[in-house]
Amino acid sequence: MPKSLLIISRQSPWSGSSAREALDIVLAGGAFDLPIGLLFLDDGVFQLAAKQDARTLQQKDLSANLQALPMFGVEALFVCGDSAAERGLDPNTLSLEEIQVLAAPEITALIDRYHQVITL
Amino acid sequence: MNSLMVGARAIELDKDGFLVELSDWSLEVASALAAAEDIDLSPEHWEILQLLRSFYDEFQLSPATRPLIKYTALKLGPEKGNSLHLNRLFKGTPAKLAAKLAGLPKPTNCL
Amino acid sequence: MSTLHLLSHSPFGDDRLTSCLRVIGAEDALLLSGDAAYALQPGTAPFNVLGTRGLKVFVLAEDVQARSLPTPDWAEAIDYPAFVELSIHYDKVNSWL
Repeated sequence: MPKSLLIISRQSPWSGSSAREALDIVLAGGAFDLPIGLLFLDDGVFQLAAKQDARTLQQKDLSANLQALPMFGVEALFVCGDSAAERGLDPNTLSLEEIQVLAAPEITALIDRYHQVITL
Repeated sequence: MNSLMVGARAIELDKDGFLVELSDWSLEVASALAAAEDIDLSPEHWEILQLLRSFYDEFQLSPATRPLIKYTALKLGPEKGNSLHLNRLFKGTPAKLAAKLAGLPKPTNCL
Repeated sequence: MSTLHLLSHSPFGDDRLTSCLRVIGAEDALLLSGDAAYALQPGTAPFNVLGTRGLKVFVLAEDVQARSLPTPDWAEAIDYPAFVELSIHYDKVNSWL
């Protein structure tokens, strides 16, 4: 059994390459069938805002990429409920439907459960 | 810079034979790219190329092998969404070769 | 599985420490390196929070020395060999990059 890996993504999609790098690790891990999880924390929850539009910025659309996660076999998707609430995001309108909203103690338990953690 | 002659046009390719400008893609370009790989595109090939283009449309990225298989199975059923069928059509490297013929960027997660 | 949380950014004007304290577990520990050592500046909000949380807190000795910071009795100053030992002692290391 390969070691499980949790990626914690905590930067906005527009603040440099961090959010994309976190997603690339997850997609690569998923393509290789690793037990991999993805948690959106702090500004990372902004990646999940609905109806983002990157066309005028001429950047690739990260939210479209996020929709590919289930295709890559990544189904362990989590979001910090407090981070979303603090940033005015309704957990019911996030762009990933199959995401679990976690409270702080549940996040502690989540991190505990994985063999390795990478925070970006 | 590599290029591919399609009719009177020279289409720019990168060093691995992928389109530099994704908007250069057309049915003729796909056939010419396939011919350069010694592949004669059958309806079964076209079906996968179209599927890849819709994958890219939806997710803005080129799939690695496993997601390609999963997506194909989802859209065309398991008798086509399996590695045997896709490997047979695309010389054993479906993610890379089919993306090339479909005019998609090289799959980045295809390590 | 226990986690050693590794912070290296200043807690002032950055929310890594706040966020880390939100999710850190009772069996976990916190290691401050680089500018994260500024959390030990007495009388500040990060200092007060850390002092009352009862967490295991480590700090790199050279970083507190360079920054003229005290090491309070609830924190332990360590050198690099001890850092290595800690990262082996805990099941995993979570670097807040």
